[in-house]
Amino acid sequence: MSEPLVSIQNLNVKYQHKLVIRDLNWDIFPGESWLLTGSSGTGKSSLAKVIAGLQSYSGNVTFSFNTKSALPARVFYVESWYQFKNIEGVANFYYQQRYTSLQAKDTLSVGAELRNFGKEHQLEFTAAEKLLIELQFVTFMNSSLLELSSGEHKKLQLIKALWLKPQLLIIDQPYTGLDVLSRVKLDHLLNDISAEGVQLIIIANDTELPSCINRFARIREGQLERLPSAKLDPVSMERPGRKLPDFLKEAPVYPSDEIVRMINVNISYGEKQVLKNINWEVRAGEKWLLQGHNGSGKSTLLSLINGDHPQSYANDFYLFGNKRGSGESIWDIKQHIGIISPEFHWYFDSSSTVWQSIASGFFDSVGLFKQLPFSKSTKVDELINFFGLTDDKNDLLSTLPLGKQRLVLLARTIIKNPELLILDEPCQGLDLHQTQYFNKLVDELSSNGMTLIYVGHFESDLPACLEKRIILENGEVKKVETIAESCLI
Amino acid sequence: MANYFNTLPLREQLNQLGVCEFMDSSEFSDGVNALKGKKIVIVGCGAQGLNQGLNLRDSGLDVSYALRKEAIEGKRDSWKNATGNNFTVGTYEELLPTADLVINLTPDKQHTAVVNAVMPLMKQGATLSYSHGFNIVEEGMQIRKDLTVIMVAPKSPGSEVRSEYVRGFGVPTLIAVHPENDPQGKGLAEAKAYCVGTGGHKAGVLRSSFVAEVKSDLMGEQTILCGLLQTGSILSFDKMVEKGIDAGYASKLVQYGVEVITEALKHGGVSGMMDRLSNVAKIKAFDVSEELKEIMRPLFQKHQDDIMSGEFSRIMMEDWANGDKNLLAWRAETGETAFEKTPAGDVKIGEQEYFDNYLLMVAFVRAGVELAFETMVEAGIKPESAYYESLHETPLIANTIARKKLFEMNRVISDTAEYGCYLFDQACKPLLADFMKKVDTDLVGKNFNEGKDGSVDNTQLVTINEILRNHPVEIVGTKLRKAMTAMKAIKTV
Repeated sequence: MSEPLVSIQNLNVKYQHKLVIRDLNWDIFPGESWLLTGSSGTGKSSLAKVIAGLQSYSGNVTFSFNTKSALPARVFYVESWYQFKNIEGVANFYYQQRYTSLQAKDTLSVGAELRNFGKEHQLEFTAAEKLLIELQFVTFMNSSLLELSSGEHKKLQLIKALWLKPQLLIIDQPYTGLDVLSRVKLDHLLNDISAEGVQLIIIANDTELPSCINRFARIREGQLERLPSAKLDPVSMERPGRKLPDFLKEAPVYPSDEIVRMINVNISYGEKQVLKNINWEVRAGEKWLLQGHNGSGKSTLLSLINGDHPQSYANDFYLFGNKRGSGESIWDIKQHIGIISPEFHWYFDSSSTVWQSIASGFFDSVGLFKQLPFSKSTKVDELINFFGLTDDKNDLLSTLPLGKQRLVLLARTIIKNPELLILDEPCQGLDLHQTQYFNKLVDELSSNGMTLIYVGHFESDLPACLEKRIILENGEVKKVETIAESCLI
Repeated sequence: MANYFNTLPLREQLNQLGVCEFMDSSEFSDGVNALKGKKIVIVGCGAQGLNQGLNLRDSGLDVSYALRKEAIEGKRDSWKNATGNNFTVGTYEELLPTADLVINLTPDKQHTAVVNAVMPLMKQGATLSYSHGFNIVEEGMQIRKDLTVIMVAPKSPGSEVRSEYVRGFGVPTLIAVHPENDPQGKGLAEAKAYCVGTGGHKAGVLRSSFVAEVKSDLMGEQTILCGLLQTGSILSFDKMVEKGIDAGYASKLVQYGVEVITEALKHGGVSGMMDRLSNVAKIKAFDVSEELKEIMRPLFQKHQDDIMSGEFSRIMMEDWANGDKNLLAWRAETGETAFEKTPAGDVKIGEQEYFDNYLLMVAFVRAGVELAFETMVEAGIKPESAYYESLHETPLIANTIARKKLFEMNRVISDTAEYGCYLFDQACKPLLADFMKKVDTDLVGKNFNEGKDGSVDNTQLVTINEILRNHPVEIVGTKLRKAMTAMKAIKTV
């Protein structure tokens, strides 16, 4: 047998002072492409970072790259969460910033970022152009990094990786934020580079994978456990038997039956129109599914509802029965809404503890600036207990695994039992168990009459309570329908 | 126009310098009501103009922008910023006659021209707002007697005014009403409502006067904030290179060190910053800073005296009239320093290393903050005002140096700050020549603790800690920082 490309012996890795990988051994031989799976927080990303040379460890990790191959003899790691920086090297953004129009550009354009990458790795730009077309990214060449959604950032990172074609490519959660079509295209492209000799490690909790994946493993109790296939043990659909706190069972009191009414809403940045003549009505208690391809305008539409878009003021629309821009403040709007989105998570305050993060939901603030009265702090404690986060409550949010962070943000979102719950891809980055648990919870929560707008790409990831669907395509409403009459994709 | 401050009798000078009240949050319970339904027109749409306008509109107020005809016709950046965010934009003639509140957010230097153009167009009884009092106090601009004149000055860059607002907080803000222009007695209510509209009321508001703001602001910016950081940075870099430290390392240590060091200052005051050093290093830094205070005190006093007498403004305005001859020469000189021209090396410097290997800067910062504060208070400025204009702003300026060195700092700060900074730097470097001859790499470039066993004399350490903690800037600082605990770290490193 030939030498392994990567050989790992007696690896020990700590995450936040806790040993997550214990005496792990793993050989990756030529021709092998691996799926690495396992529940959230087991150390998958830490292991990947060790191989990519981004994480300290004890033990042995040795590489034998193929010296005859034309492919770069290196490891390239695509993080599930990519933190870009502004031109001055600072990553100090806030999530509403991408909707604000400012002439002095703070971040590089996609084109400049790619050209820098190509220069650094001595790559031909023509190869990147093919990928841009394939993944429908050409139109973003002049967009600044700040304007991209999480799905678009993911694509940009994937384009870099596919362009570089390193001998070992590790992709952490390749599908999060990708729409159905992009996902299919990505699988083709991964198969193509695999055929050229790139070996892959994919970290995911999916069962549908590119066909080049021929080895399967998960991390369990700090060790690598080989699996026969990508299929995980069947999961129980029951969520742990904790009782929903009483304050979340109270039916919301609506100031108006009309939650959202948009009349020919248009949003554009310079020449580029991102929403065109949107007409949409959401009534109290309705449960909506919002869908559309990456870049179709979903997050812009939601930012209008959440009071985050500066161009709201020139459009004709109503929120909770009031015309937008008639003297209300954004805080008047936000008090009715609980929102969670990948972008919101991205820019969330990393210096808050779990308890503070959840408590800040009472004030719709990012960070807690006020003392909570006793009645409210008991609610925070109750909810923390309900979500099984009691042991984590004094930890910094940013030190928890992604899946737990999402649960914390969901708790923050519902702490005030809002009239309108906006869940924009809430399960991105969660494992299968967590996704099912989460969606069960959404069903249960919204049964009190809460209005819901849910964004999700894949059928398997959706809560059962959804009853209406609006589909956007290139900034326009393509379809509005009742879900009972049609079937989901 | 005559210097306004110099026209006042001493009694009234002291009276206005002494306006200083840290406002209780209950004073803002009326929210934005005093401006609700009123027409607010902002003149200028740069970083402060745009971001304040976005906040005010998101607080439910009616905001539009008045720009010069050339800016509109030429579709300049200010026009694009305003229209791109769906604000109404018009010329002065179109918008100002119906405005209830006109907010002047143009650069200081343009104030005389802008106010002269704006004033005749404003309706009877309207309000004019400034974010800096130079035009009123130093240039002696006379405002029509029917108009109310207020000041609302967020103590942060425009981008932060916005980012703190949208996350549900705000930035510390200074407000004032000009006593010569408050005919209806509505000035304070409007200034408070404006402050609520930008979110400032959540982060601590200091009620000041035009006079106190100008005299303390000028002093702070030219001494500790910009002047001393520039002098200290250049001298430190040159010393390291002279002593054979790698230039790339030296450049990085100086560029980012001041930010890391003053981040500790922001959270824990001077003693918090000093506490980051080991005991031996702290005693050394204390001794060095005492010496620096003694050497530099006369220079700090001269700057304060010239600011109080109006001499500083007079010579600066002379330079304005002279086509910025001095300013441009000094700016070019700063661009040519070895520090400015040496890029930061590709070396990793740990957070603690910035303290251990840059003890000299810790000493500079302590000396500068305390001297500026002491000198201001001696001159009749109240401790709270002196705190804002010395310690509070130091990390903000340090951040600009971390971003793009001194050139960037001087580009970002106001014209008056830049002029005053060079003035200080020119005088301070020769003053420190003998002192710098004694400085070696244990103070700058290498770890001071190296080769020392760390033992100290207990009584000496206790005495030093007491002196540091009982300094008036620490007493007032502890009180004020409580109101701003949620301030986010701005970090480049």
